[in-house]
Amino acid sequence: MNARIERDNIVTQSLGQIGNCGLFLLQILAAIPRSLRHARETVRQLWFVGAMSLTIIMVCGLFVGMVLSLQLYHVLSIFGGTAATGTVVAIAIYRELGPVVTALLFAGRAGTAITAEIGLMRATDQIAAMELMAVDPLAYVVAPRFLAGLIAMPLLCCVFCALGIFGGHLVGVTWLGIDNGTFWSNMTATVDVWQDIINGVIWKSLAFGAVVALIAVYQGYTAPPTSEGVAYATTRTVVASSIAILALDFVLTAFLM
Amino acid sequence: MSQRKSYAVGTGLFIVLGFAALAYLATQTSSVANRHQGASYTVDAQFENIGQLKERAPVKIAGVRVGQVESIALEPGKSVADVKLAIDKQYATIPADSVATIFTSGLLGDQYVGIEYGHAKQYVAAGGKLGLTRSSQPLEEMLGKFFGAGGSADAIGGSYEVTAHFSNVGSLSAGSPVKMAGVAIGRVLSVQAEPTKLDAVVTLAIDNRYNQIPDDSAAAVFTSGLIGSQYVAIQPGGSPDMLKNGDEMILTQSAMQLEDLIGKFLVNGSGDGAKKDAGSSTTPAGKH
Repeated sequence: MNARIERDNIVTQSLGQIGNCGLFLLQILAAIPRSLRHARETVRQLWFVGAMSLTIIMVCGLFVGMVLSLQLYHVLSIFGGTAATGTVVAIAIYRELGPVVTALLFAGRAGTAITAEIGLMRATDQIAAMELMAVDPLAYVVAPRFLAGLIAMPLLCCVFCALGIFGGHLVGVTWLGIDNGTFWSNMTATVDVWQDIINGVIWKSLAFGAVVALIAVYQGYTAPPTSEGVAYATTRTVVASSIAILALDFVLTAFLM
Repeated sequence: MSQRKSYAVGTGLFIVLGFAALAYLATQTSSVANRHQGASYTVDAQFENIGQLKERAPVKIAGVRVGQVESIALEPGKSVADVKLAIDKQYATIPADSVATIFTSGLLGDQYVGIEYGHAKQYVAAGGKLGLTRSSQPLEEMLGKFFGAGGSADAIGGSYEVTAHFSNVGSLSAGSPVKMAGVAIGRVLSVQAEPTKLDAVVTLAIDNRYNQIPDDSAAAVFTSGLIGSQYVAIQPGGSPDMLKNGDEMILTQSAMQLEDLIGKFLVNGSGDGAKKDAGSSTTPAGKH
């Protein structure tokens, strides 16, 4: 993978980055069948990027749901519509906050770790060593991490959403005193499985998972093999992922909703 | 080896947790949770106007959910909506002369079908029909009964202009309708502040067909509906002389704020403020 970029100007540079990233995605996709021989490695990565991110995802989901419920209750009480709190919490979390916040957290928690790990593997010549031993680093290092990100994101997003609803219920019903039955019945009356949960939660988080994982492995794999290069690559992972997530969110919302 | 195994177990747990969360979201917080589980029987009801009623809307008796709306269709050849209600088998003892009504939960809530028990000895059977129904009452219609809203004037055949002074026009703007007996007879040409009298002068363009309006008629700024737009209502007087082009309407009633209006009911006759409000509601603004 040759990451040489003409330093003409910012436009050709960014276009070159995107082009290289796209080519890299094709290489990963081609390496996925070969990586299935290292399925254990994928499971191990799933543990690192998925299961290890659970705590932060759960805590953040809980707080997002709680603050959403608190804010909405006070705004809706102006119109006498506090009964709609459950509905709006659920819709907001499923359609936007769940996938987007999970993806941002995932980029910060797992994406950076992937970039730093692969970048250091490159810097300490482990990747070169694998190539010498005829082990394809794309199939053994990159593809498992990409797959793990792709699988972990929707699962994490579901957990985030469930905790968000729980947090919203905690504040809305237990603290602010919205009727329990009203909270749930209004929510179940409005939330649609296909529109909100499949389109909102699953497709969006799959897309975000793919984007974050791709950016993370790409930045790690192409990082200059110096400590400074790895540091820059890690920063770029967070910046590029965040921009990509928010931009893609708009596009996906326009198409899916 | 044990290290590797713990990864596998942990990852498996993570995946199971993720899918459990998905299953919870899909079945407990979405409309899937509303799909009735038990057996149900279908009852027909016909409504003249179903308003915003949707399929799967709840059917309630005394506020308790007993079923849901199965389908809504237009009765062939008639301007009547045929609504099929799927009611749970356990509520099989609904008297045949019960009344099905379309209610709205709250001011802005969703609509549902409420059934009020009748007194008949027979119960409505599966596939039977609830003959007595009450249609959805659109809020506009209900408020229109109080406030007398109507359409807009077509202004065929030219118009003549009269002016009226108001101490408060509310959110009245150029183009707002002018109505008499709830029927639009013209529109507001302009709303301007009067620099000397410090009130609002409103120019009304009234259709030439309506040239028999007594010149002591009163003009009032009303609101159509609770949150509707404002319009000028003309309440005819008894003078033998008629309004002509360029005349001024002396008797006016300014825009009523909803808050004032409600405040009047709440504090009616209990304080000086209420009396003062009531006294100033119809004032000859021209004499200010």
